[in-house]
Amino acid sequence: MKRKKPYTLLNKVEPYLWILPSIILMAIFIIVPIGFVFRMAFSQVTKAGLVKGFCGFDNFSKVLKSAKFGLVLKNTIIWTILVVGLSTVLGFILALLLNNEFKGRKIARAIVVFPWATTLVIQASVWKFIIDTDYGALNTLLKTLGIIERNVNWTPAPEAFFAWEIACGIFVTIPFVCFTALSGLQSIDASYYEAATVDGANYWQKLGHITLPLVKPSLTVATVLNIIYVFNSFPIVWTITKGDPASRTDTLVTYLYKLAFYNGKQGEAAAVSVIGFLILLVCASIYMVSTLKKGDE
Amino acid sequence: MADNIRINWGKLLSRVLLYFVVALICLFILYPYFVMACTALKSRSEIFAINGTIFPINVMWSNFIDIWQKAPMARYMLNSIVIAAGSTAIAMVCGIPAAYALARMKFKGQTAFLGFIIVSQMFAPVVLLIGIYKVMQMFGLTNSLLGLIFINAAFNQAFTIWLLRGTFMSISAEMEQAATIDGCNRIQAMFKVLLPVAAPGIVTTLIFIFINAWNEYTVALCLISTDTLKPLTVGINIFNGYNMIEWQYLFAASIFAIIPVVILFMSIEKNLTSGLTAGGVKG
Amino acid sequence: MKKLIAMLLVLTMVLALAACGGSKTAETQAPAAEAPAETQAPAASAADGEKVTVTMIAAQYGPKTGDWWTEFEKKFEAANDGIDLVVDCVSWNDIYTVVNTRIANGQAPDLLNIDVFADFQADGLLLPAEEWCSAETYAKFYQAFLDQSEIDGTIWAVPDLASARAMYYNKDILDAAGVEVPTTWEELTAACEAIQAYDPDIYPWGIDMTTDEGQAAFAYYTWGNGGGFVDDNDEWALNSAENVAAVEYAVGLVKAGLTNSDPATNTRYDLQDLFCAGKLAMMIAPNALSSQAGEAGVNYGFAAIPNNSGTSVSAGVMDRIMCFDNGQTAEQMAAITAVVDAFYDDEPYAEWVLMEGFLPATSAGGEACAAADPAMGAWIDIVGSAKFYPTAKAEWADVKQGVIDVEQQALLGGNVQELLDALQAEIAG
Repeated sequence: MKRKKPYTLLNKVEPYLWILPSIILMAIFIIVPIGFVFRMAFSQVTKAGLVKGFCGFDNFSKVLKSAKFGLVLKNTIIWTILVVGLSTVLGFILALLLNNEFKGRKIARAIVVFPWATTLVIQASVWKFIIDTDYGALNTLLKTLGIIERNVNWTPAPEAFFAWEIACGIFVTIPFVCFTALSGLQSIDASYYEAATVDGANYWQKLGHITLPLVKPSLTVATVLNIIYVFNSFPIVWTITKGDPASRTDTLVTYLYKLAFYNGKQGEAAAVSVIGFLILLVCASIYMVSTLKKGDE
Repeated sequence: MADNIRINWGKLLSRVLLYFVVALICLFILYPYFVMACTALKSRSEIFAINGTIFPINVMWSNFIDIWQKAPMARYMLNSIVIAAGSTAIAMVCGIPAAYALARMKFKGQTAFLGFIIVSQMFAPVVLLIGIYKVMQMFGLTNSLLGLIFINAAFNQAFTIWLLRGTFMSISAEMEQAATIDGCNRIQAMFKVLLPVAAPGIVTTLIFIFINAWNEYTVALCLISTDTLKPLTVGINIFNGYNMIEWQYLFAASIFAIIPVVILFMSIEKNLTSGLTAGGVKG
Repeated sequence: MKKLIAMLLVLTMVLALAACGGSKTAETQAPAAEAPAETQAPAASAADGEKVTVTMIAAQYGPKTGDWWTEFEKKFEAANDGIDLVVDCVSWNDIYTVVNTRIANGQAPDLLNIDVFADFQADGLLLPAEEWCSAETYAKFYQAFLDQSEIDGTIWAVPDLASARAMYYNKDILDAAGVEVPTTWEELTAACEAIQAYDPDIYPWGIDMTTDEGQAAFAYYTWGNGGGFVDDNDEWALNSAENVAAVEYAVGLVKAGLTNSDPATNTRYDLQDLFCAGKLAMMIAPNALSSQAGEAGVNYGFAAIPNNSGTSVSAGVMDRIMCFDNGQTAEQMAAITAVVDAFYDDEPYAEWVLMEGFLPATSAGGEACAAADPAMGAWIDIVGSAKFYPTAKAEWADVKQGVIDVEQQALLGGNVQELLDALQAEIAG
């Protein structure tokens, strides 16, 4: 095929033309702003936000020296692993269920979109409202049903708050995983299953040998992006606790937000985000080296 | 005979179980919305009453009407639709060719480009605000919907390209090659053969971008200063005052905010399920 | 490794391209982008291009603030033909983000209405108040308020409004529990215990130690114990014995179960809602709670904040209007002065303050408010004797976050003395 075409230069350039619009879009609106973050991370920034010259790794050493940073990093990792892990498993199971033919499937699918179609700030507000000790909807519900007599404090400790935030994170992430998995499931040719049924395979064998391997590519990509989005997620923690008490529920993003806009330390905040970036970069590189080589070449 | 009956029982049981589980999940998902709706219909004093009730005692339908008078809700909603639709269009126009090139062509820097896309996602929008503002200033887009459209399109490139690339790769290239032999050029073959077959993936991507753009808050907050240009997410902040949060209005407005997304979803949902027509699947 | 280098190369190339492209397109695109904003003001004739623009960011105090400013804009522009006033009303949740982003990009507004000013002044971004505030308007402010915005002998901002805090109590609950209004800490503890014995479902006392406003709790208790943020020489004195005892007292109330369940996450808004629902007997709140509690039908009263030192101190909060140095022309400066004058014009100003439920910062406004609402009189006296946060000091932002953190650590079981020592060392050391 290729030998037939005479314009080899055009052939060489062609793929780049196809990706050019995308590159320009991302470069201008994301990469340039990222450049500013790096500049700030290595600059002295005044409290009002003016950049005053290069300061080396000052911001980084200040951040790493702070007693809070380790705690916040630990929280972020717990948050990311639990939210991504559980939402992936649950979202996939939900996708398997919704992939069946049944009456009302259309409605069920529309309902699953709900958590996703709601702004995170509102979503988190509702959850905060539900679990509130004094006027929370959960206590009202349980009291009306006669399950509890008096209001229960659902958040007696910082860990409990964090657990609720993680639950909320899972709740809003499931639709994303579910629909990515669903689109993967839809593109599996029914003939595979027919052939397997003829061979006498049961449901679980089909799941393990046909469904999982075929859905895996779209699910891995979704998972990597999910890790990044969840790692950087801001509104849930911010709306429910603002990282209180004493940073026990802070993740890197809420922590740096407070640094930047409450403490007026934008240089240090930029340094925190660069550190977060490096962590994600390492994770993504491991993924790319392991998956891309196997999958594509 | 007996065998048959047993199998039917098993099928029936799994059917009932399926309905039960799905119904349970739906109820669980709907619970926060149920709370939102009930709260939106209560008066302020009822929301915080000592012995609160699940349902409103005095149903305040007026809350749903009041919000339209207290804030330019229709305007906010229109802005949100423009932003979400515009971002989706631009993200697709830029993303489809890129995904196509990655799936169907071999070129140097392919992996680097895929990496570049992932790297572009690694900073939280909150962190990028200052830089984004600067860029928008360069183009004079600070207080405009167009700026938000570009930003949202850019934020969603990663998912668009990765998901579409996966979809395209799972579809055999044979049919396109056949079409090229029939005299179609590459672009025609893509439109006529590949895209219709890839519909489920494309629809998923569309929904994804639309919803993300619809929900974007942080950047819109900083870029838009004119009230009439605010999207819904930022606009409803008007109910979030210095002295109190007007929960009933906030939730009433939020319920309206979900409706367009659900309508959009319902209207294109059938493409999500139609699956592949005659397209071959590569193993 | 190769991949990484390739990636970096692409990155830098693209960056360079974008930078070149960007600066060129800037001028050509700017007018086009402004079009949508202009469609809003159809009255402005196209030929009239010489209008002076004054930009302002205003804090959104309540649901009506935005409308009020829109109305103000209209009236002002009608009265001042050559001036185009653009007011951007931003909620308190987001105003710091918005303002910092704008300043970092050299897009500071001409006028800003916010609570803090020292950081802007430290960077030389502000103009002294007397340069943009007419002598007539300047003379209207209470001197004590102006003094709060003084650094190095210059006043950098003018107060737009104030609020003062007092102890609100639910008369019915106190009567039913047989409790007098407490004035000292001992009485307060006793009152809380009595209320709890009367009805365990009612929270006797409200405390807010959240990131939202935890510094206020620090102020209430340390000022009531003869301590505070600074000593007599205006130096940081965070770990004084009075402060340690004060924080320990407040945390002790929480530990004894005499307060709301979770002071580290219950904001003052949550407390106010509890108070209005009759679930909270006493709390410290600004005067704005009066109307909210009145609407909710609570039989409330307010009194001085209980103290341990013999003198009750009210906590005052004051917000400001400041003017940024954007290299304005004389014409622009005149326009800014006109805006400020119009804002502080006695009648509309008093109307605005009353609408927002705050206390006026001008004496004429004070008289007008007191005439319109007799209850205001008592509050204007309270604010006159109030102490304010040391917002003029450069370290204030760190101190504010620091004391909140100390409170929250103490709630989790930390040693107050050690925590305050560490904070003092960090701030002053």
